[in-house]
Amino acid sequence: MTIATIGDVEFGIELPTFEPDTSLATGTRFADLISWDGVRFRDHEGAKKEGFQGAIIPGILNQGYLVAMIHNWAPPAEVVSVDTVFRAPVIADDSHSITGVVTDIDEEDGKVEIDLTVTNDKDETRVFGTAVIRLPT
Amino acid sequence: MILDLHTHSIKSDDGRAKVENYCQWIRSKELPIDGFVLTEHRQYDVESDYSTLAEKNGLVILKGSEVETEYGHVLVFGVTEALTRAFDFSRIDLPLAMVIETCEAHGAVPVPCHPGRPRVGMFAHTEELGIPAGVKTVEIYNGGSRENEDQIAIDNAEKLGYRGTGGSDSHIVSHVGRCATEFSADIRDMAALVSALQAGEFNAVTFKH
Repeated sequence: MTIATIGDVEFGIELPTFEPDTSLATGTRFADLISWDGVRFRDHEGAKKEGFQGAIIPGILNQGYLVAMIHNWAPPAEVVSVDTVFRAPVIADDSHSITGVVTDIDEEDGKVEIDLTVTNDKDETRVFGTAVIRLPT
Repeated sequence: MILDLHTHSIKSDDGRAKVENYCQWIRSKELPIDGFVLTEHRQYDVESDYSTLAEKNGLVILKGSEVETEYGHVLVFGVTEALTRAFDFSRIDLPLAMVIETCEAHGAVPVPCHPGRPRVGMFAHTEELGIPAGVKTVEIYNGGSRENEDQIAIDNAEKLGYRGTGGSDSHIVSHVGRCATEFSADIRDMAALVSALQAGEFNAVTFKH
């Protein structure tokens, strides 16, 4: 079900799980697009020499995936803020999923708060945060 | 009685959860916990009074702290005004021995948390710094653990004869209650929690899977 107005939203409702493309090829392409140098985005072995478990996905690409997930669920949403805490890097070529759940609704302001969690296939939280969106009343 | 002994609210710099939303979440999702302890980073939240919220939701809401030492992070239960004056909670380099000694002198209970975690966990430092004296209890289930962090905590706690607690270490609403601690006693206030921790009458529980 896609969300059209704030009346469609209930506390605790889950957004459809989003499977982000966290392949090394996509991470590298994104790093190229935004002119981010650094072997950590491009090469697993080079990233390991920098102390990572493998090449990592740029943080702002992960934030883009969070916004994409929100808009897939609620196309008319205005994303007011996405606030993330990176507990661990998102490792390229590992499978990840993003879950979201509504944790606050302010019907007067038309605002909804969503908890966001990026986990890998071992169910480890790599990134968590919250988004505030505004929906039509 | 089951309490989540490790949670953060928006009072912590990296906390994003409002306490009222924790309550709403626990009740709407029918989580098997009876309450939680707010352990804000590097501070003791003196001014917040959650008694009305606790009563309204039929939950126990208590306040502790999470301080930082050379051995990593340490939960403190039973913080008093005098204890907040005994050392600077905001420091990130507190000596663990001093924290333990001072807490005990003030009737509080220190519990090193996520001890199996690199950098901020106690067992990451014991090879270099030695086994610290005075530790009786560590957190063995942490809701934010990755890799084998909980297993490192469990194995070392068993080897060293420590008791184990559990807490979600939640920073957002939907992570509360992932791990917790089960008590045989009915705990309604911090004094009762401190007594139960001192008596060792508890077991860590996890709801992560």
